[in-house]
Amino acid sequence: MSVKHVLTTCPYCGTGCNFFLQVADGRLVGVVPCKTDEISLGRLCIKGYSAHSFVQHPDRLTHPMIRKSGQLRQVTWDEAMDRIVGEVTRIIEKYGPDSVVVLASAKCTNEENYLIQKMARAAIGTNNVDHCARLCHASTVTGLLYSFGSGAMTNTTPEFDNAECILVTGSNTLEAHPIVGARMLRALDKGAKIIVVDPRESPLSRISHISLHQRPGTDIAWINGMIKIILDEGLANEEFIKHRTSAFDELKEAVNEYTPEYVEATTGIPKEKLVEAARVYAKSDKAMIAYAMGITQHSNGTDVVKAIANLAMVTGHIGRESTGVNPLRGQCNVQGACDAGGLPNLYPGYQRVDDQEARMKFQKAWDTKLPEKPGLTLTSAMNEAMAGKVKAMIIFGENFMLSDPDLGHVEEAIKKLEFIAVSDIFLSETAQKAHVVLPAACYAEKDGTFTSTDRAIRVLRKAVDPPGEARSDWTIACDLGKRLGSHGFDFSSPAEVMAEMASVTPQYGGIDFERIDKQVLRWPCPTKEHHGTRILHAQKFTRGLGAFAPVRHAPPKEVPSEEYPFILTTGRNLFQYHTGTMTRRSPKLEREAPEPYVEINKSDAKSLNIADGERVSVSSRRGSIALKARVTDRIIPGSIFIPFHYAEAAANRLTNAALDPISNIPELKACAAKIEKA
Amino acid sequence: MAFDERAADHLLLMREEHGNVAPALVSKGEEIGDVRLDIPYQLITILETIYSWVPTGKIAVITRRCDEKALTELTKRGYVDEKRMVKIGLACSKEQIARCRCSDPVPSKVDFGEPNTPAPRDDLSDKLAQMSVEDRMKFWVRQFRKCNKCFACTHNCPVCFCDDCVLEERTFVAEQGIPPGLSFHMIRSYHLIDKCVECGECERSCPGEIPLLTLRKMLAKDIKEVYGFVPGDPKTVSPLNTTLEGEPMEDECDEC
Amino acid sequence: MTGFKPTILAFCCNWCSYAGADLAGVGRLQMPPNVHVIRVMCSASVKPEYVLKALSQGIDGVLVLGCHIGDCHYMTGNHRTAKRMPLVQRVLKETGIDDRRLKLDWVSAAEGEKFQKVITEFVQEVQGLGPNPLREVKF
Repeated sequence: MSVKHVLTTCPYCGTGCNFFLQVADGRLVGVVPCKTDEISLGRLCIKGYSAHSFVQHPDRLTHPMIRKSGQLRQVTWDEAMDRIVGEVTRIIEKYGPDSVVVLASAKCTNEENYLIQKMARAAIGTNNVDHCARLCHASTVTGLLYSFGSGAMTNTTPEFDNAECILVTGSNTLEAHPIVGARMLRALDKGAKIIVVDPRESPLSRISHISLHQRPGTDIAWINGMIKIILDEGLANEEFIKHRTSAFDELKEAVNEYTPEYVEATTGIPKEKLVEAARVYAKSDKAMIAYAMGITQHSNGTDVVKAIANLAMVTGHIGRESTGVNPLRGQCNVQGACDAGGLPNLYPGYQRVDDQEARMKFQKAWDTKLPEKPGLTLTSAMNEAMAGKVKAMIIFGENFMLSDPDLGHVEEAIKKLEFIAVSDIFLSETAQKAHVVLPAACYAEKDGTFTSTDRAIRVLRKAVDPPGEARSDWTIACDLGKRLGSHGFDFSSPAEVMAEMASVTPQYGGIDFERIDKQVLRWPCPTKEHHGTRILHAQKFTRGLGAFAPVRHAPPKEVPSEEYPFILTTGRNLFQYHTGTMTRRSPKLEREAPEPYVEINKSDAKSLNIADGERVSVSSRRGSIALKARVTDRIIPGSIFIPFHYAEAAANRLTNAALDPISNIPELKACAAKIEKA
Repeated sequence: MAFDERAADHLLLMREEHGNVAPALVSKGEEIGDVRLDIPYQLITILETIYSWVPTGKIAVITRRCDEKALTELTKRGYVDEKRMVKIGLACSKEQIARCRCSDPVPSKVDFGEPNTPAPRDDLSDKLAQMSVEDRMKFWVRQFRKCNKCFACTHNCPVCFCDDCVLEERTFVAEQGIPPGLSFHMIRSYHLIDKCVECGECERSCPGEIPLLTLRKMLAKDIKEVYGFVPGDPKTVSPLNTTLEGEPMEDECDEC
Repeated sequence: MTGFKPTILAFCCNWCSYAGADLAGVGRLQMPPNVHVIRVMCSASVKPEYVLKALSQGIDGVLVLGCHIGDCHYMTGNHRTAKRMPLVQRVLKETGIDDRRLKLDWVSAAEGEKFQKVITEFVQEVQGLGPNPLREVKF
């Protein structure tokens, strides 16, 4: 008889709540919130309370499998690994190492992502390593890297409590980051003013002070509009602009045409409300901006993020307590996967692959020659596969068959691949296409670290054994690295991996398992004596002076037409998570939101004679899906919303893979669609 | 704290772990560690979850007065065998009493902590009682708009024991998204009216910091006024389980 | 409040009050409109959840009619109802819903006139209270 309460980190969103997994005789029986956790304060969302449900589900992959005569058949680990190594070696010999793409995972630990990118670079010889940040905050990384020199959340989650004004845009915080949303509610109860800018009404917008609804894809217009109002009314922080920024004149010129009238015509936001919002944000002493996919997932996403940075810099709301630019990162470890170098153009710690000095440093640290050319992003890899340039993919914990845009194109592209290996915890839609499937351990079955959206390094502690023969991804990556003939994969614990990662990643220099066991450390934490950094850009920006970027509004790549009259925007709901592999196997969550749906405005539904709950088909130039209509006034007329969690009505069948040229993030938030009675 | 006292085979307590305060079930022969009594967890709720996995032996639990009452409600309904339970009485500190606006803070036997006087009143209850019906509704609608159906209130409540919770059924909570409407909160309030021991765990674990404990207190006052009933007394039966003449009926909860 | 016709749910138990309702109908007694009679086997099967859900969704008034005490077909069913409803009214009151929007009464199979009287009076009372404010509250 053994009962344990194991303190670990939630595997769902990027907030990084800690809780105790209750384990009785090796079975997970429940979750208890951690009352002393600095980030969650003893609170959790419904997904957190169900975080144990999917772990010991009968669908868990338990044995390696190889596709034989079209069917996946159980094999030994040796057989599976031999096949992977054999195929990858063959393909490298025939087509070169850049014909292989490795996908790291925002669901894997920092240690695992570090090893996966090391394996790709040192063992395979390619920089083609990427992960799902490409789909969500890639434009944050590029945008803020330009503006500030660092792409991460500038302040911390607990600081929302004390903000006087919170500008929330492109984030349905109470549904997508409930515990960050809870902090905003605390601020609200203390008298803070909340401004929400979103095409959809959300639980937060309904209790906010100012709620603005813009047409999807018009964000630069309203942001520039706000900046112009702030400049014209003398509300700009002149001291800050003078001493801490550059290129102000270019910005001033760029925003000049964004009068409130022009903004109203472009975005649909009434001009008096825009003025009010701008004044409230500028005049508050402690104002924070929180944003997510609504800002990033556009064909000009990098520019939109730069516009947000402009707004914060023009008012000087950065570098101080309860201010800043705060991207809310989606996955439990998307921040860490970026930090650990799971990116085609960046080594661990955001050091550039094409920077000779950086490359020499890693070549020395890993004792091997490293490829020079930046690799392919996840989204352009699909195009390259279609063109026959990419021949193999090794995928860790990513279900792009549901999460990538334009699924029809993805399906066609991967048919051209000669080899696909997938390591996952369930037989996802992507794993179903693989030649080799490896059973992986999930968060509750291994030690390691996740990095939350506010840069805190959170600890995972093993609570139960993985099912069957499943193994943790760090052992899989090490095994692959060794079998591919590389040295530098001899690790006997995640702690050892972190020790190496810390030695080459300046921001993680002071991180080790002993220190983080008892305290919360946020990077940059360069040395063992350093106590971590809460607020970024306090004295100066990472790049020195903040760079204003003169960005201008550009419409989405696909706008409504006569045949496709609606703007389709996609997103999440509270109860399901991403491609649903975990939440749809959790009874309490599945029960709350079991079916796919499309939100359509009441007046639009009326003109199309569509009733609430009626079966409809939604189509775009790329495909068509059938699902139930939810008639609501939560979304503005002319737009429709579909959550992307449901495989049976995959929203991404319809979305447009129009990529932002700098970050390669797809325009998941705006494309053209039509809706018809089924 | 030691196993020898009161011949317990297992101890359910809070202790320091990894720089935090954690609940723990410690069995005889295992290290107890650094016990922490300043951050109380709702150990009775935790007991309910793990109880079936501890088939034998006596379990000693750190119980505040509210925990004692919760344990009584569970033993009355047969969920826990009281012969197996040993209570280690913890008297709450002044700060904890103030935070809970607690009117009954001292356990029947005090093993740890200093007994303190109850809080004189719950200011918010008084304020709400004096409001008009319309204003009261405005207050609660504003509060419940913050609810995002995390189910923390039910999950952490020691006297919420239904395996199939009615709040998960579309029949009773019709809203498909969040926030759920008033039916969620009213149904929960009704279900708890003869069981709530005012431990305050619901309020403390609510991400929206909705003053749930105040609503519980107001309804506790109501059931006392209407039926003279206070939960947590081993000798009394809920008025909802007796006829108008006081004869016992089937437990209302089994009706579900 | 002229022109406001309250929407009422009347839960009537099969053995007594529903039969009483039938009797009122057979006797062509005038009934107010917008009263939806729901037949249940026993007033005890009117779980408080139904009442609370109805009122939270904007129903203006809920009437629960059972057998006289001592006459319940299932012996103690109406005892349960008698014990529950006052507490449901308290829940309504504390949440901010006028507790007069819920009424409990006993009507036997022979009391057609009483049925009509109870319904008419209840409708009038709810009419005086006005529409349920929750109709306008968007959650």
